[in-house]
Amino acid sequence: MTEPALHPLADDYLRRLRRAGRRLPPDRLRDLLSEIEAYLSEAIPVGASDDEALEVLERLGPPGDIVEAELPAAQPPTDRRGLREWAAVILLPLGGFAFGVGWLIGLILLWSSRLWTTRDKLIGTLIIPGGLTTAPFALGALAGTSSETNCSGLATEINPSTGTVIRPGTMHCHPAGGGPSTATTVLQITLAVLFVLGPIASAVYLARRARNSSPSPATATL
Amino acid sequence: MLALLREGERYSFDLVRALGDAEGLVTSEGTLYPLLGRLRREGMVQSTWRESATGPPRRYYRITKDGDAALRAFASQWARFRESVDMLMELGATA
Repeated sequence: MTEPALHPLADDYLRRLRRAGRRLPPDRLRDLLSEIEAYLSEAIPVGASDDEALEVLERLGPPGDIVEAELPAAQPPTDRRGLREWAAVILLPLGGFAFGVGWLIGLILLWSSRLWTTRDKLIGTLIIPGGLTTAPFALGALAGTSSETNCSGLATEINPSTGTVIRPGTMHCHPAGGGPSTATTVLQITLAVLFVLGPIASAVYLARRARNSSPSPATATL
Repeated sequence: MLALLREGERYSFDLVRALGDAEGLVTSEGTLYPLLGRLRREGMVQSTWRESATGPPRRYYRITKDGDAALRAFASQWARFRESVDMLMELGATA
């Protein structure tokens, strides 16, 4: 398909628009250029005089005005996340490794920031208290409850004064209930995943919420 | 813009010219294209490029269900606003 030739003044206008639109994201600029090019092709017939072309360009307005009108929507929301927010996002999952104090500092930073709502702060606090350091403790405690053993038989008899064995023991130990059941194993794995992924997911969520807390661009209603 | 699309689809040049011809609404027609883009991104209108027998390809716009709902909401607010202003103007004239 051959593109119809544009009036030289229209070509010049598009060049100025392209230059002024360098501040815009490329896809937005491309979109604008194709729309304005279609407008110019339609409004300035082949063989139009310079005066006629200028009249159309005047109706269209300066390229800078069009770019300015596009800018509020093109600009991404200002990222207002500062040191406080990033420190909170890092300390909540990892701060517990610094004797638990890091997590508490993260908590204070979380609750003192204005970029998060109360709901966000509750999520950051409750998923999971202590951050990643909670996982080994919680899983250790769970493993402890399921590793009780039952022993039967006679214990080894030892001479307390000499330390020699008087009679060897016949005691046999076996895990209570015949070893950890499948349900217990599944529960342990599930909890392990939750305790590890929970703090990470919570930190990612907080980072994203803080970024999106900036005011959104005004919506045009004409 | 949404009101102009209520009766059916129109191509962008036609839309922009119609608004440009409405007195006191628009100072430069070019600034309407960013507005069209915003309405498109917000799902108020949909567009398709089509070849034209008489010239360059044209981008046709049509209103969506969301756009229609937004237009109805705006029309209702506008009617209330206009009535309030009319009432105040009449009060001012008789005072």
